Amino acid sequence: MIRSVIETSVRRLLHNRIELMLMFAMPIAFFSIFALIFGSGVAGATKSIKVVVVDEARSPFSERLSDLIRVSTGLRPMRDEDDRPIDRDKAESMVRTGSVAVAIVLRQSTESPRSTPLPVDLLSDSSDPVASQVVSAIVGRALSSAVQPSPVQPDAPENPPVANESPINVIDVMGEGKSNPIVSMYAAGIAVMFLLFNATSGGGALLEERENETLDRLLSTHLSMDELLLGKWFYLSAMGMVQVTLMFLWGQLLFGVNLTGHIDGFIVMTVVTSGAAAAFGLLLATLCKTRGQLNGLSVILILTMSALGGSMVPRYVMSPELREVGLYTFNAWALDGYDKVFWRELPIDTLSPQVAVLLASGFVFLVIARVFAIRWEAN
Amino acid sequence: MDKLSTDKPLPAKPIVSQPVVTQSVVVERSARRAAKAGASSALEVKDLRKSFGAAEALRGVSFSLGSGERVALLGPNGAGKTTLIRCLCGRTRPSGGKIKLFGQTVSRNQSRDLIGWVPQEIALYSDLTTRENLHAFASFHGIERRRRKRQVEWALQWTGLEKRADELVGTFSGGMKRRINLACGVLHEPKILLLDEPTVGVDPQSRQRIFTMLDQLSAGGTSILLTTHHLDEAEQRSDRIVIVDKGKVVCDGTINELVEQTVGASRLVKIKVRRQLESSIDRSEAIDQLMSRPEAIETDSNSEMLSARIDDVAIQLPQLLARVKRRGYEIVNVEVTSPSLHHVFLHLTGHDLRD
Repeated sequence: MIRSVIETSVRRLLHNRIELMLMFAMPIAFFSIFALIFGSGVAGATKSIKVVVVDEARSPFSERLSDLIRVSTGLRPMRDEDDRPIDRDKAESMVRTGSVAVAIVLRQSTESPRSTPLPVDLLSDSSDPVASQVVSAIVGRALSSAVQPSPVQPDAPENPPVANESPINVIDVMGEGKSNPIVSMYAAGIAVMFLLFNATSGGGALLEERENETLDRLLSTHLSMDELLLGKWFYLSAMGMVQVTLMFLWGQLLFGVNLTGHIDGFIVMTVVTSGAAAAFGLLLATLCKTRGQLNGLSVILILTMSALGGSMVPRYVMSPELREVGLYTFNAWALDGYDKVFWRELPIDTLSPQVAVLLASGFVFLVIARVFAIRWEAN
Repeated sequence: MDKLSTDKPLPAKPIVSQPVVTQSVVVERSARRAAKAGASSALEVKDLRKSFGAAEALRGVSFSLGSGERVALLGPNGAGKTTLIRCLCGRTRPSGGKIKLFGQTVSRNQSRDLIGWVPQEIALYSDLTTRENLHAFASFHGIERRRRKRQVEWALQWTGLEKRADELVGTFSGGMKRRINLACGVLHEPKILLLDEPTVGVDPQSRQRIFTMLDQLSAGGTSILLTTHHLDEAEQRSDRIVIVDKGKVVCDGTINELVEQTVGASRLVKIKVRRQLESSIDRSEAIDQLMSRPEAIETDSNSEMLSARIDDVAIQLPQLLARVKRRGYEIVNVEVTSPSLHHVFLHLTGHDLRD
């Protein structure tokens, strides 16, 4: 008897390809994704942290230090687009817009250069704590190298002494003044992932209607497939907006997320993200034949997109290659948008790339869903 | 013509091997009926064809449905009934042929107003209440708000579910769900109602209730075409019967016409006698003594039952009983059975309805 139960279960499993994939392929796929993120991914990230160096001191020592920093492995010094010298304000703005992870500012010491070390400010984005720590270590090493007399350069300029205390001052230009800065990023990550799950589940109602002939019945009335899909899209979009709004309201009440302070950007991002997620849900629903198939496929796709797109693990810990791959996911664009609103506090017009991508993808998803739904119309 | 046989219901094979009318004749009659019905028909189907790839589901179906008429569509599984119904309600696009409503080829939108469709499945939202379901389907049928409210109230009364109006449909019995399923298909007051197995899986009381509801619609002038697996339903509850098999209409007419056209109107007489038929008696000799036509005899000597087929009960039954008595048998019971739709069906399709 027990053997029969086992045999039957195995046979049923073998007939269900989605379940087979979930059972065997998904863990391996996820292991690979996370191995890439936390294994070589982190190492890859440290090799190319985008920085900008600002030399305010303009002394021979600061120039030498600046050169040492620029050639340090693990850093990727960026320049101004017009190749003009970058000042502190411009550097800070580059950090704020996410063009660089850290700005290294070699400050002019207010005291005698012989008695104090060259102070270095690291203007960092605390959403990437790894980057500021790595840059701090590299700058410290460069400082040590810079103060040692070079045997091949006997006439090198006199080095300023290095104080016992660290002259490197890390300044969080992004998190300043935020009551609970990191939470807003996670709120967006989780919200987008569940937005996708709920949209897919809502889209599944279409398959349920098809399975019990309700869809046929609906289409035998005055309701057209266009109206049905659009109705469902509006409904799922509206539910998505309510869902994300509730999540952020909860975040504001309990965790200090500044929703009301960023309401305009939040509305823009939530509307386009919910619309695109709803279209994605409908696309998956029309692609599948049964609700079971949809459940399996949605779990695979949404978890993969969430892992690569930054809903589970912030994209800054990923290698540049993985970050590139992440841009092919829905989540990455949505999270980048929320990141600009809540973290970088950028004006709405800077959201245009994210809004454009999400709007376009939502439109494409809807069109493809409509094409797939043709098979449910009169045949 | 008298026929005497053993105590067996009309067997399929011998009858099928000697059809009274050929299928081509039936199809011709059906087509003629459809053509004759013409503009006065609520629904006229002419040479309807539908292929799914190489498979031909409908191979030139023709029939008509008169105004206020109730027609049962019968056929074994896979005969093309559901495809036909789906073509009529616009859910399947025919490969060929014509469908006319009230003498005219109408647009899809017009046909949606004229036709109501009740699918075989319970096509309702089980997580909505009765009233909510009715409201939803009324709005999908394009009924404007004020009339919608009226129609919903009428449907609740019609189904007898006023007291359960605000309960979730998912909690209802199969019969109650069937009634709501039916109501959702007639909210827009269609002239023609297509029902696919409206009583499948429901108890006799619920069946009765559903047919009472259909009677009311019929009385109001709605033409009804229903598919069913219950031959008794088809026989008792329809004005006419259309039998389809292998994508074609094989028979179309009233029950009497079908019987006449196929198995003939002769009655089956079963006579139970007190003692067993003597095994020593020669079969044809025994028959000669009982009946005038010994060629139709089939008997089992161990049986206590005699069976015969007679055309005229009033004249031939007394003669038959007298002969049995004369032969020395004491009659215990006599049963006269008219040919039923079941026999017609077996005759035409060669197999049972549920095969």
